[in-house]
Amino acid sequence: MHAKIAFSPHAHAKIKSIDTSRAWRIPGVKAVITGAYYPVLTGSPLADRPPIAMDKVRYYGEPVALVVAEEEYIAEMAALQIQVDYEVLPVVLSPSEALQTGAPLIHEHLAAYEISEQAYPEPGTNIANRTRIRKGNMEEGWRNSEHIVTVQVRLPQSDHAAMEVRCSIAEILPGGKVNIHSASQSPYVIQKDISRYFHIPLHEVTVHTPLVGGSYGGKSAVQLEYLAYLASLAVGGRAVKLVNSRELDMVSSPVHIGLESTIKLGCTREGKIMAAEILHLFDGGAYSDRGAIMSRAGATDCTGPYRIDNVQCDSLCMYTNHPYSTSFRGFGHPELTFAMERAMDRMADRLNMDPLVLRYMNAIGPGDTTPTQTLLNRSNIGDLRTCITKLKTLIDWNDRPRAEINGHLIKATGICCFWKNSNTPTNAGAGAMIKFNPDGSIHLLCGAVEIGQGTRTALTQILAERFRMDDRKIQIRMDIETDKDPELWKTVASRSTFLVGNAILQAAEDAIMQLKNMASIVLQCPPADLDVGGGRVFRKTRPELGVAIEQIANGYTFPNGNTIGSQVIGRGSYTMRNITLLDPITGRGNTGPEWTVGAQAVEVELNTRDYTYRIVKAATVIDAGRVINPGFARAQVTGGMSMGLSLASREAFRFNPNGAILNRQFRTYKLIRYGEQPEYFVDFVETPHLEAPYGLRGIGEHGLIGMSAALANSLSAAAGVELNQLPLTPEMIWRTMHDSV
Amino acid sequence: MIPFDFEYFHPSTVQMAVDLFQNLQRQGKRPMYYAGGTEIITFARVNSIQPGAVIDLKSIPECNVLAMQKDILVIGACVTLSALSEADPFPLLSAAAQGVADQTSRNKITLGGNISGKIHYREAVLPLLLANSRMVIAGTQGIRVTSIHKVFNQQMRLTSGEFLVQVLIDRDDVSLPFAYFKKREIGHVGYPLVTVAALRKNDEMRTAFSGVCAFPFRSAAIEQVLNDSSLPITARIERATGKLPASLLDNVEGSAAYREFVLKQTMADAVHRLERR
Repeated sequence: MHAKIAFSPHAHAKIKSIDTSRAWRIPGVKAVITGAYYPVLTGSPLADRPPIAMDKVRYYGEPVALVVAEEEYIAEMAALQIQVDYEVLPVVLSPSEALQTGAPLIHEHLAAYEISEQAYPEPGTNIANRTRIRKGNMEEGWRNSEHIVTVQVRLPQSDHAAMEVRCSIAEILPGGKVNIHSASQSPYVIQKDISRYFHIPLHEVTVHTPLVGGSYGGKSAVQLEYLAYLASLAVGGRAVKLVNSRELDMVSSPVHIGLESTIKLGCTREGKIMAAEILHLFDGGAYSDRGAIMSRAGATDCTGPYRIDNVQCDSLCMYTNHPYSTSFRGFGHPELTFAMERAMDRMADRLNMDPLVLRYMNAIGPGDTTPTQTLLNRSNIGDLRTCITKLKTLIDWNDRPRAEINGHLIKATGICCFWKNSNTPTNAGAGAMIKFNPDGSIHLLCGAVEIGQGTRTALTQILAERFRMDDRKIQIRMDIETDKDPELWKTVASRSTFLVGNAILQAAEDAIMQLKNMASIVLQCPPADLDVGGGRVFRKTRPELGVAIEQIANGYTFPNGNTIGSQVIGRGSYTMRNITLLDPITGRGNTGPEWTVGAQAVEVELNTRDYTYRIVKAATVIDAGRVINPGFARAQVTGGMSMGLSLASREAFRFNPNGAILNRQFRTYKLIRYGEQPEYFVDFVETPHLEAPYGLRGIGEHGLIGMSAALANSLSAAAGVELNQLPLTPEMIWRTMHDSV
Repeated sequence: MIPFDFEYFHPSTVQMAVDLFQNLQRQGKRPMYYAGGTEIITFARVNSIQPGAVIDLKSIPECNVLAMQKDILVIGACVTLSALSEADPFPLLSAAAQGVADQTSRNKITLGGNISGKIHYREAVLPLLLANSRMVIAGTQGIRVTSIHKVFNQQMRLTSGEFLVQVLIDRDDVSLPFAYFKKREIGHVGYPLVTVAALRKNDEMRTAFSGVCAFPFRSAAIEQVLNDSSLPITARIERATGKLPASLLDNVEGSAAYREFVLKQTMADAVHRLERR
């Protein structure tokens, strides 16, 4: 069967009544349900969201009813017949409006919401979470600052724009077992949440994810799965499929978070940054979801990759009557980086200093502490200065004027630096299992979802490297089944290769030990004298003496028929270490295992007649720790840059004064297209992270992080005005020029 | 997903199409003619139209003609925009066609559909307005041929049951000097902020616009001002901007104020391109 969503045309309204009778009258309709069918509040860290609106709607596109029918078009037809009587309420359309005293309250019962991870909502306001950073002594910082700059930036909410829309199928078997199929990054979270909210034993819930058609964070939230489950429940457990239309995928399912931020930087005459005071107001939308945690990331990494001894930051996740937000590639970092890097460029201007030199001078490194006062060492932070030096060469920075004028065309380059830690829960972890087949080949089982990033190839390579064997003899499936594959927390935060990779290496050790023990009997020597490689177990001192893995992988049979041992199955698991909660007053704590750092540049050619521009070059130098697959690594970083440039130059939801979204289709919501891409440059620095497989660092999101800042810096240099708002359309540049006259 | 039932008809002659329309209308089916279907799908899937029947015109031979007949270029209403720009019988029209939507859509969108649609821009009509083309229209009274200026005013003004069969353009007009500028919010695919089509004949410049107001238009008043060579270009453009037939469009593609800025610049580009120096 098929389900379709009836959605709210209002951004904020009381639901006075819902009349479903006209929908019921359509032949083929099997169920019509509203929020009253199963009243429950979902969400992590704050359980603030009913899967179907109850009592009121808080954003345009919010589900108000669900229809289940024999055919998809019947369900759609019936969903259009749901009559809702609304009482429209005043709307809150920006995080700064939401903060004002007297702003309409979006959640009246904030104090009653269950909290499952660290979050500090402020009941009686629209603040879903506040993270405080208090490091050093601000008075001293300002006293030692010769120059002070203040920058305000604004970034709108936007779409993840994955090629595959979100879709989910749920089925409740007669025995009570629940099967969910979903295009998701979080199969194990779906399993837990379905169990938690619908009171089903965890082992009775199985979640299947296929190869997912792109996600960028947007498919880490659990949303359609609840609806599909409720739809199935309403028709006696029959399998029900729910597929978003593109329009609903854009506005009803969670979106990319927005930000309004004010940042004040102080530095000495020589350019040493002494103080930073930051207020981030994240536009989390109607429900907090991971927006609450993203706002925390905005605080914990607020300074960017610079050593600053005196830092004060308040980062707030604000409720607004916008669509709700969830993880987006970069997880709060593209946003904080835009604020910080615009301020860095402003400061360089003030000092009349090369912006790369200012960044090099202040680059954070071993011995320094982060805003959350984590002490850095050679392992937990990459080498930013080497990245900056490599970037300089890559873009010929020293040999060119800052702006080249050719008639009405001006070429200019903007640069920026970034860092990112993962802000995972303290217990995020992964498991892995390797099963040997009788011919010595391996089946690798793990929970990392393939979303186009190539993680399962990289994981296979890690295993092949450890066994020094041909990676074609290792099999890995493209899909995940939570009842068969060992768990991975979520496929997010550029953490899969780290977490699952560590689990795989441990599983490999486990299998190697078993192989050596078996071989030690066959070869009649202690296991410690043996090594594994090239499909064999052999003596370290006399490599010609050995036994093929295929002879011992399923036990060893002596020539006389006697058999010893049995199938070799390696198991391993890994959980984040030394991650702590944050002190609620100062933010002191450790938010993740390591910081990936990098330096980026964008060159533009601005037409000063009409403010159109061409992006000529985009470059990233990133400390990857260790590059596992050079092709994928380049592709990931380049893809990130492309997405970042699209976001920076054109992507934004446009709202009417009532909060309805005006561009919920790709004909009016613009994305960068083939043919508009600049020349891309990617280079790597390799400073190993000692806790990671082969020293690797996360690189999945990072190409995107600094693109907005670098593009704004380049266009600001070319146009001669401060461009602090996204998206950077020609009209935005024109308006900024116009307003500044 | 089109969330309603409708009947589909596929007539092979003009007369069958006209008769079908009459019959379906009498039955209260709210029929619609269509060719490419992109716009029907666009509006139907968001439930803003609910025709009870659609009449596909693509099998009518007259609607698929693309030929120079004696001294007249005949273009059937069902010729797709990509076929039109591929054959390139009228370069200004090819330029306009190629600016619409993207290649995949242009393989479906037809000349007649683009002109007869409800979306604001309908840029394929601009060259036809400039070339003083004639339109072949079928209806219950049979076939009539009329000047485009008699049937296109902001939109096609056809009586119920009529449809566009062909467009006729004089051979002399297809190779005139022209300029075509399409300015978008950003990027090279999408609706226009401002589209200016211009053509020069007998030392007179003709101009037509899309994206500027909520409909495409050609304006005698604007042409008069732009051709007044006694005035400097900036003054002509300033005056021309004052003679727009309606208020400037203000939507997600761009604000009215920014459109005015882009319009002035684009008019200057067009005049510059076509004015004899």
